[in-house]
Amino acid sequence: MTRLFDRVRPAVVNGLRELQANKVRSLLSMSGIILGVASLVAMVTVVQGMVGNFRQFVDAMGGIEKITVVREQLPKEQEHLAELSEGLTMRDVERIRRTVPLVRNISPEARVGYEKIVVDGRETNTYVTGVTSDYLPVAKRWVEPDQGRFVSDLDVLNMTDVIVLGSAVIPELFAPNVDPIGQVVKVRGRRFTVVGILNNIEGTGMQIRSANSRSSGGAWRWRNSGAFIPVSTALTKYNGNDRLSGLGLRIADPEQLRDAVDQTERTMLAAHKGLRDFSISTNEQTLEDFRKTEAAFKLSLGGVAGISLFVGGIGIMNVMLASINERIREIGVRKAVGARGSDLFLQFLAEAAVVSVVGGLIGLVVSVGIVTLMNFILTQALPTGAVATLDWVIMGEGLAFSVVIGLIAGVYPALRAAKLDPIEALRHE
Amino acid sequence: MPPLITIRGLRKTYRMGDENVHALDGVDLDFQKGEFVAILGPSGSGKSTLMHILGFMDTPSEGSIVFDGEEVARLDPDRRAWYRSHRVGFVFQAFNLLPRLTVVENVALPLLYRDNSDPEANLAAARAALERVGMSHRLDHRPGQLSGGERQRVAVARAIVGTPSIIFADEPTGNLDVKNVDRVLELLGSLIKEGITVVLVTHDLSVAEKAHRVISMRAGLVQEDRVR
Repeated sequence: MTRLFDRVRPAVVNGLRELQANKVRSLLSMSGIILGVASLVAMVTVVQGMVGNFRQFVDAMGGIEKITVVREQLPKEQEHLAELSEGLTMRDVERIRRTVPLVRNISPEARVGYEKIVVDGRETNTYVTGVTSDYLPVAKRWVEPDQGRFVSDLDVLNMTDVIVLGSAVIPELFAPNVDPIGQVVKVRGRRFTVVGILNNIEGTGMQIRSANSRSSGGAWRWRNSGAFIPVSTALTKYNGNDRLSGLGLRIADPEQLRDAVDQTERTMLAAHKGLRDFSISTNEQTLEDFRKTEAAFKLSLGGVAGISLFVGGIGIMNVMLASINERIREIGVRKAVGARGSDLFLQFLAEAAVVSVVGGLIGLVVSVGIVTLMNFILTQALPTGAVATLDWVIMGEGLAFSVVIGLIAGVYPALRAAKLDPIEALRHE
Repeated sequence: MPPLITIRGLRKTYRMGDENVHALDGVDLDFQKGEFVAILGPSGSGKSTLMHILGFMDTPSEGSIVFDGEEVARLDPDRRAWYRSHRVGFVFQAFNLLPRLTVVENVALPLLYRDNSDPEANLAAARAALERVGMSHRLDHRPGQLSGGERQRVAVARAIVGTPSIIFADEPTGNLDVKNVDRVLELLGSLIKEGITVVLVTHDLSVAEKAHRVISMRAGLVQEDRVR
C-alpha cells in the first residue's frame, strides 16, 4: 500500500505540474467536467429543494394522512339513477365513524360560498364553510390560546351563530386596536359572533417564506383566509338541504392509507346503494405525481449532466492523447532511465485524474454560484420560496463522479504511453 | 576477473516488408569492468542495435548475453526496466533532459523508478552526481537555461546517479562544440576509475580514438576489435 502511494505521489505531483504548465489547454479540456459537475450538483440540489418545498406544501394540505371525499356527478352509466343520489350527508360521517376504525377524525364540510362579511362599515369577501371541531386535526390547524376558540361540538349541536375567521381576514375587518373576539359580523344579513381566529401559517415552523410576495401571505393566503361556522348552521340556515360539499378524513397511521381508502370507499358505496356520486382522493396521489415529476426531472437533468460528463471525459481523453503525442520523447527518456510500463501508466492516469479533480472542484464552485442564483430567482418568482441548500453529500458525489470519469478517460491514453517502445520513443522528433 | 558482459552469437533480425534484415548477424564480444570502449561504425552497421540490446531496451532474436554472471538475453520488460534503473546509464546525443524538471530533478529521475524510492535521498544523490560533473551551481535551473556542454554534463550526472555498472553514450558529442567535446569525453573517460564500463557509440573516428578499445562494426558484424 505504501509502495503504491510512493508511486502515485510523484505521479500526482507531475500531473499538477503539467496542469500548471498548460493552463489554457487544461482549462479547455476541463470545461466538460466543469459543466458536468456544476450542472449535476446544481440540478440535484435544486430538485431536492423543490421536493422539500413540495413536502411542506403537501403537509399544509393535511399531509399524507388526509383522505378527501367530495361529491361528484354520477358517471354516465348511472345518470338515470340521479334521483336516488342523496349526495354526501352527515349520515356518511356517522357510517364512516362506525365502520372505518382506521379513520381517526372526520371533518364534514359544507361550503356556503364566497360571501361578503360586513362589520361596522368595513367588509371583505372570503369563503365561508360550515365545519365541525374535527376540522382542526384534519386540516392540521389550530387556534392559538389567546386567539379564542374554534367551532365546538355544542355549536354544531345547537346551530349557534358563531364564526371563526382566518388571520388574513382580520386586518380587513377590524382596526388594529380592536379585539375581534366577541365582535359581531354579518354574513348575508345574518349576525355571527366572532369566537376565534385560526393560526397564521406564515411564520410557522414550516419555513414557508412569503416576505417577498406582494400580497401578505402570498401563495399561502388561501390558507390564512376563509371563515368557519358550525356545519349545522351552514346547512340549515344557508344551504337549506343536508348535502355536504366534502369530507376530510384523517387516519391514525399513514401506513394504512390504502386500507383506509378501500374501507371508506366500500362503506360509501354500500351506503349509497352502489351509486358513484362521490370521489375519494388522497395527497398520496399528489405526492406520487410529484415523485414522478421529480424522477423525470432527475432523469432528464441527470441525462444532461451525464452527457456533459461523458463529453468531458472525451475531452480529457483527447487532451491526454495530444499530450502523450507531444511527450513521446519524454516517455522514451523515462523508460530509458528505468520506468516500467506501469510507472508511465500510473503517471498519465494520475494526470488525467488531476485534470478531472481540479475540473470537478471548479465545477463545484460554479454549482454554488448557480444554486445561489437560482435561489435568488426562485424566491423572487415563487412566494413559497423553493429554497435549495447545498448538500455536502451531493457535492462529494459530484466530485467522485468527475474522478471516475477522469480515470476512465485516462485509461486508454495511459495504456498507450505504457506500451510505447522506448527506442522508437527516443527517436521521435 | 570475469568480464562484465559476455555476448555470444548475438543476432537481431527485423522484418522489413518481405525481407529479413539482420541488424546483428552473430556478434561475440566481451566487455570488462572499468573499460572505456568505443563502438565505431556507419549508420546501419548495427552499433545502435547492439547498444539497445546491451542497454536492456531491446531483446536479441538469438544468442546469449551474460551480464554480471546472469543470463539476460530474454528478460521480461519489467526486469529489463529494473536493469536500466540499477545497472545501466544512458547519455544521448540530444541530451534528452526533461524541460519541465529542474537540473537536480532530471538527474534524480532514474532513482524515482526504484522500489523504496525516497525523494530526499534521491535529491541528495543527484546533488552528489552533479558535483561529480562540476554542475552543482546549476541545481535549480531548467535545461533550457543551460548551454549544450552543460546539458550534456547534466546528462552524464543522470547516467551515473544510480551507480551503474555500464554507461552507454550514444554520439554524446554530436551536438557539442569542440571545446565541450573534449570536456565531455574526458569526463566520460574518467568514470572508469570508479569501475564503470563506458561504451561510446559513434560514427566519428576522432571521438572513438579517445577510448582505450575500439570495436568497428559493419553490416551487423564486428569487423575489428583493437585495444590501443
